[in-house]
Amino acid sequence: MATTTATLTLSSDIQSDALLLTKQTSLYKANTTTGLDQTTGFTKTIFSATTNIVLLDSTTLGVGKAAKVYIANRSTDASEFVLITINAQIIGRLYAGDWMFIPWSQSDAAGNIELAPSVATALPVEYMMIHEGATQTSA
Amino acid sequence: MATTTATISLASADLTSNALNITNTAILNKRGNEEGLDTVISATKTFTSTSAVDLVAVTGFTGTAANKVYIANTGTSESDYFTIGIQTEEIGRLYGGDWMFIPWDADTDDDITITPSVATAMTAEYIVFS
Repeated sequence: MATTTATLTLSSDIQSDALLLTKQTSLYKANTTTGLDQTTGFTKTIFSATTNIVLLDSTTLGVGKAAKVYIANRSTDASEFVLITINAQIIGRLYAGDWMFIPWSQSDAAGNIELAPSVATALPVEYMMIHEGATQTSA
Repeated sequence: MATTTATISLASADLTSNALNITNTAILNKRGNEEGLDTVISATKTFTSTSAVDLVAVTGFTGTAANKVYIANTGTSESDYFTIGIQTEEIGRLYGGDWMFIPWDADTDDDITITPSVATAMTAEYIVFS
C-alpha cells in the first residue's frame, strides 16, 4: 500500500496576531484507510493558446472516488492566470505562482477539469492527479 | 502590505518507484498584481444534518477576484465525508482529515456549498483570504 501525504502550511500577517496553520493528510481511497496507489505522474505543459482545454478527463472508473488534484500556474507575470472550471462551473483563477489542491470526485462523465490560459504567450502549468482508478481509452 | 503564503508539500516514498517530493509556495496576491490579499475570515462549523448549505456565500466578496479558500474536515472517520461544491457543481469529497485549497472566483451565485454525508455531528473549518 502506498503512503502519500499532502501538507499545507499557511502563514499570514493580515491580522495583528500572526496566522500559522499546518495541516497534513494522508491520501486514502474512498471510504478506506488504504492509500491511493495510482498517479498520472507530474506533468508540465506550456500553453501557447487561450483555448479552453480538458486538463483531466472524468472517467467511469473515477466517478465517486477519492482522486486528488494539484495544479500550479508557474508563470512569473503577475497578470497572467489560468481559469479553472469543472463542468463549465468556474472554480477560480490561478494567477502566477498560485497553486490549488482539491479532492475530485468526478461527479459524472461531464465533470472534467478544464483550464483556459489568459494569454497565448508561453504559460507554464504543472499538474498531477493521485487516484485510485481511471478508465483507459481504447486504441 | 500583508504577506500571506501557502505552501504545499506532496510526498511519497512508494507511490511510484522513484520517491515523490513536491513543494511549492505561493504568495497570495490580489488579482493581477503583487499586492497581498488583505482580508481574512475563518470559522469552524459543526453540522448535524445532511442538507446542502452554503459554507461561504459570495455576499461581501469581490467577484472575479483572486480569493483563496482553505477547507478541512476536522473529523477522523474514513467513511464520513463532506461534499464540497460551487453552486450545484460538485468538486469533491473531504473525508476525515482531508483538506483542500482553491482559488475562488466569488462571482455571482458562486457560493461554496457543503453537504455532510451523515447527520451525526461533523465539523469543518475554513479560511477565506480575499
